[in-house]
Amino acid sequence: MLRIGIDIGGTFTDFAVWREDEGGYTAIHSFKVPSTPPSFADAVREGLDSLIERFDIPADEEILLVHGTTVSTNAVIERSGPPLAFLTTKGFPDILNLQRLRLEKPVDMFSNRPPSLIPRELVFEIDERILADGSVDRPIDAAEVAAAALAAKEAGATGIAVCFLNSYRNPAHENAAGAAIAAVGNGLDVTLSSALWPQQNEYERAIVAVLNAYVKTAISSYVAEVEEYLHERLPRARLFITRSNGGVMAARVAYDEPVHTLLSGPAAGVTAACFVGEMVGSPNLLTMDMGGTSTDMSLIRDCLPQVSSQAEVGDFPLMMPVTAIEAMGAGGGSIAWMDGPVLKVGPKSAGARPGPACYGQGGKAPTLSDAYLLCGYLNPDFFLGGRMGLREDLAEAAMRPLAEAMNVDVVTAAESCVAVASSNMLTKVLPFLARLGVSPRELTLVLFGGAGAVHGPLLADEVGIDRVLVPRTPSVFCAFGGIVSDLMHDAVRTVHGLNIESKDLIAAFGEIAGEARSWLAEQVEPEWLGETHLEYHAEMRYIGQSFQVDVSLPETLAAAGDMRAISDAFHREHERLFNHCDPGAAVEFTQLRVRIRGRMRVPGRDGLAVAESIEEAKVAVRRARFGGRWRDDVGVFRRERLAPGNRVPGPAIIEQVDATVLVPPAYSAEVGEFGDLMLVKEG
Amino acid sequence: MDPVRTEVMKNRFAAIVEEGSSIAYRTAHTTFVKMTQDYQVALATPEGEYFAYPYMSGVTNFIGLSLRATIREIGVENMSPGDIVICNDPFGSEGMCTHTMDIHLLKPIFHGARIVGFAWAFIHASDVGGAVPGSISPTSTDVFQEGIRMRATFLYRKGELNEQLLMIFRDNCRIPDQNWGDLQAMIAALKTMERRLVELCDKHGVEEIEGGIRDAMDFAEMKARSVIAAIPDGEWVFGDYLEGVRNPEDTIFVQARMTVRGEEVWLDFTGSDPQVQAALNFVTGDSSHPFLGLAIINYVLTMEPDIPINNGIIRPIHTHAPKGTIANAVFPAAMGNRWVTVMRVFDAVLGCLNQALGGGPVTAGAGQGGIILCAFKDPATGLRKASVVQPLIGGSGGRSSADGIDGVDGPFGFLRSTPVEAIEVDTPLIIRRFALQPDSLAAGYHRSGAGVVIDMENTDVEVLFTVRGLDRFVLRPWGTNGGHAGTTGRAILNPGREDERDIGKIKVLEIGYGDVLRMMTPAGGGYGDPLDREVDRIMADLRSGLLSRGRAESDYGLVFAGDAVDEAATADRRRALRAARGPVAAFVYGPERDAHDRIWPRALRAKLAERALTLSPALRNHMLDDVRDSLRAADKTVDEAVLDAAVAAWIARHGAMRGREKTDRVAAE
Repeated sequence: MLRIGIDIGGTFTDFAVWREDEGGYTAIHSFKVPSTPPSFADAVREGLDSLIERFDIPADEEILLVHGTTVSTNAVIERSGPPLAFLTTKGFPDILNLQRLRLEKPVDMFSNRPPSLIPRELVFEIDERILADGSVDRPIDAAEVAAAALAAKEAGATGIAVCFLNSYRNPAHENAAGAAIAAVGNGLDVTLSSALWPQQNEYERAIVAVLNAYVKTAISSYVAEVEEYLHERLPRARLFITRSNGGVMAARVAYDEPVHTLLSGPAAGVTAACFVGEMVGSPNLLTMDMGGTSTDMSLIRDCLPQVSSQAEVGDFPLMMPVTAIEAMGAGGGSIAWMDGPVLKVGPKSAGARPGPACYGQGGKAPTLSDAYLLCGYLNPDFFLGGRMGLREDLAEAAMRPLAEAMNVDVVTAAESCVAVASSNMLTKVLPFLARLGVSPRELTLVLFGGAGAVHGPLLADEVGIDRVLVPRTPSVFCAFGGIVSDLMHDAVRTVHGLNIESKDLIAAFGEIAGEARSWLAEQVEPEWLGETHLEYHAEMRYIGQSFQVDVSLPETLAAAGDMRAISDAFHREHERLFNHCDPGAAVEFTQLRVRIRGRMRVPGRDGLAVAESIEEAKVAVRRARFGGRWRDDVGVFRRERLAPGNRVPGPAIIEQVDATVLVPPAYSAEVGEFGDLMLVKEG
Repeated sequence: MDPVRTEVMKNRFAAIVEEGSSIAYRTAHTTFVKMTQDYQVALATPEGEYFAYPYMSGVTNFIGLSLRATIREIGVENMSPGDIVICNDPFGSEGMCTHTMDIHLLKPIFHGARIVGFAWAFIHASDVGGAVPGSISPTSTDVFQEGIRMRATFLYRKGELNEQLLMIFRDNCRIPDQNWGDLQAMIAALKTMERRLVELCDKHGVEEIEGGIRDAMDFAEMKARSVIAAIPDGEWVFGDYLEGVRNPEDTIFVQARMTVRGEEVWLDFTGSDPQVQAALNFVTGDSSHPFLGLAIINYVLTMEPDIPINNGIIRPIHTHAPKGTIANAVFPAAMGNRWVTVMRVFDAVLGCLNQALGGGPVTAGAGQGGIILCAFKDPATGLRKASVVQPLIGGSGGRSSADGIDGVDGPFGFLRSTPVEAIEVDTPLIIRRFALQPDSLAAGYHRSGAGVVIDMENTDVEVLFTVRGLDRFVLRPWGTNGGHAGTTGRAILNPGREDERDIGKIKVLEIGYGDVLRMMTPAGGGYGDPLDREVDRIMADLRSGLLSRGRAESDYGLVFAGDAVDEAATADRRRALRAARGPVAAFVYGPERDAHDRIWPRALRAKLAERALTLSPALRNHMLDDVRDSLRAADKTVDEAVLDAAVAAWIARHGAMRGREKTDRVAAE
């Protein structure tokens, strides 16, 4: 059995491979092939071709293939989806225009709310109404819906998203509308808001339906391409697609519910970090995935990623629980520039093309990567294991105008760029942690992505984080996430306004757990399923509060409907999040949720042989810039020659084929039993 | 200005205040703070000027606020480590507190014996006592109806809580526990900011930090100056009106005079009406105040989006409003509902800016933010419950480079709407409609944003609405450079039924079972000549259903042939319309304001306000109201002689006995 993880980035398509009979975590292989935008599937085929060859895969070998794709995300960001129509309750034609009214930046006199994905003329008001208690106020007329479907088709729509008021409580009218549209038989694809995510809040629920309808074409044609290839070359492969909640789903589910893939890109890396963190005994992590144009951060507590129900994809909110990610506009390609008399870095980026000046692809602007090279952090002859030479002369030429503007030498200018970039990131990291109520000192920073291991240790120092973890395969970490992720699904029930008693709670949890179980049964044959976990959550609040707290409930509490114990759990969580609670106050439920996890086969722990000495790992000594001066004694180590037990005191640089790890002066790096590096601040 | 230190220190300071703001928000107790984010924290210099102010959460409208008066009141020499000063007194703090509901906290940050700065925080308390729950009523006539007032006092002295003070405060508000909870959240933020700044001083040295503070503020100032320098030198005046609290026809006048010289701007509000006996006033003190300069500050933030957020921004912006006017009120003015006045001040300055720039960034928007509250009896307990239904704002004005924003006006853009599905669970209302209002778009080369309409049906025996913050029900938001004036707001009971009734600007309204209340917001003015608007943009509005064919013909000069536009005929028609009309007006006010201005030209209205200000405070409003209304009723254009005569007659009639002596005294001063 082979388990393969694939992750597509703008520059590279990454592969991680684990063969069950070859060992565990330390036996995972990885490689990259250049991405092939806009036909991303080409690189996937190319990579799989070479994989079949290298691993000598027989056609009948069982394969679990987990694929992360940003095809859907790109369609939303580029607004490249097909024309759609929107059906809604009469009186509410502007749900998609009014949104939640609020402007992103009210002080900006030129700010706008993002334009809707569906123009107002393709919005059809249906004279139906269900009230908040689920009762029918005005029945729906199938003929009216059919007329709208005809008009939508006539106007060029290829699909219809439906969101009626209060359908979260009674989906009958949305179901009737779906049936009426299907009965017209003019090929319009339908997405019902209540079927995808029956949660209160008409705008956010409508957006779930609209986004789902909007990315269906892009996802289906892409997944079909990959499936076609597999059918031909690897007929026993089962294809899974990564989800925004950090789990995976069967490919055929992605055809109908592509909305679950929208934030899957960064989520897979966080899932991978949870796995490694648990293995090395670091349960509380801040992840930092630094690429060419941006950096994604997320927080892991007690080996569980933080879940957000207020995430955003492009211009739109996503109300489903997804792995919480904080994005920053800082990456290796971030451009340094003078804003009058002051040095700035970013948010503009040289991106993958032309990229940093030192790549020699025509980039002229000084970037962070150029600064790393000039400071001696990157090895010009060993970038990507020597596959790409870096041009120091071009980096210097790009940096020179900044140096002249500041009246300093080029290296000082370069080091200043790094310092400014760190301080930029600090303005995001501190409030991010403060919002979650976590202190930097409790955390271990996990670094991955192309530039993460270079800049991350410097950022750790600025933020006040004393421990930094660099996993074995930092630059293909999201692909590795595909090897360790679970089948995972969330099911929800809104109970706001219902007077929930113990028996109602038991019944509601029972129903949604049943939904979750039947979802899981659809994903894969039972023999591929390992352990199954159900996580119970209640969103609760004090009566009169306008915001709710997600309370994780042990299965025993949820199953027993122990209201007293559940309230206590709420008070405790309120206390933990907000530093206060009011055990005497009345509490209400707004929403119940169940998350199911079905484990498939994942690599186990297998330690590496302990090192005898460190000498052969040390390949050079070179100079690098720290704290405003050159250090001439910076040891350079080859990561693949380091073994458990090795300890590398800073300042040092550890090079591996796909990443460079910087060990700043105050830190020292230790190789753990699985080959991961742990940098620890001394003293 | 050090090129690297400026940026690195600015970022470190920003990280500290953003962290502080996040802590305050996360640990705040009241729903109000959680919903509206009406709180903030910042770091200030030892002189009381913000050198770092958050941008990611909390209120942004206090950028430029000064803590000087409060610090002076306590005296730096009396401060020790561990002190926290509390204050919600608008008068003593010279407008640091802009109404009594805003409770401010100041913590001196010591490094050794030296004060390196102040950590500051404020929170809009949901209740500080006074006449009504929530402490804000538009009809409050003085500050005593607006709750307990605390001048700058130590809440903590050397780390020791002033329990007596806290008890007095708690005894005088309706929600003592929640208020104290919110204050503790602010205090947690203050302490974190203090610790972080001290750590920075330890790590980099006090001189380096002070240098960074100077650099960051100088850099902000430099950028603000560059924006102002691009405005031509000169002097411009603009007047606008708030509508009355008792009668919507009563006008309250706000006038701005903007002078630009080089890189600096002066804003003078002389000529604005005296403070009123309603909660519409605010205090701005003797130095520049962000509420007076908001339009310019936002313009700077718009033009220089990366500017460091600190009080360097307000250094080249000089504001002045005479004491006793609505924009610089004195004791015992009421202020609860001042934000709508700040909006009109914003509009008046915008009017100056638009003249200076021959257009400017944006024309007048809805200019109001109505907050609808509905109170009903809880079916279980029989107790009255109140719930915010929806903020109702209205379309913004057209802009120099884009159409206006539908349904929201920039200065109210921080408000979030409530999902209809939540309203229907939390209240006995069924919302029958919540949508953009067709044909509410003011025509222009860049049209306004659309207004909003909401229909609320009551399913209970009775329900009581209270609405505050409504305005622009009588006078339209103005258009710029030929753009049409916007639309006014309306409220209608039982639309389409026999008992339909236009009920105007609501303050309090009780409706019965089955009644429907419809509220329609104003929408802003248009920007630029509608006859220049490209046909395809007009057609897009037509297709969207927000513009009717009739309006496309009348406002934009389109000529249709069947469903398509006859381009040639349209060009002819537009030519004819242009010829008949002549050059476009810099401002288009609409018929109501034109009628008003025919009687009360701006300059004379300003003179009336200035004359009123010379009287004894007790007489000012009476004289102004009487003269304003009687001359309006006379229906003749007011000139100086008419005004003088009317004022003299009034004083002779009413002022002689009570006011003469005082009038003379005030005049002499």
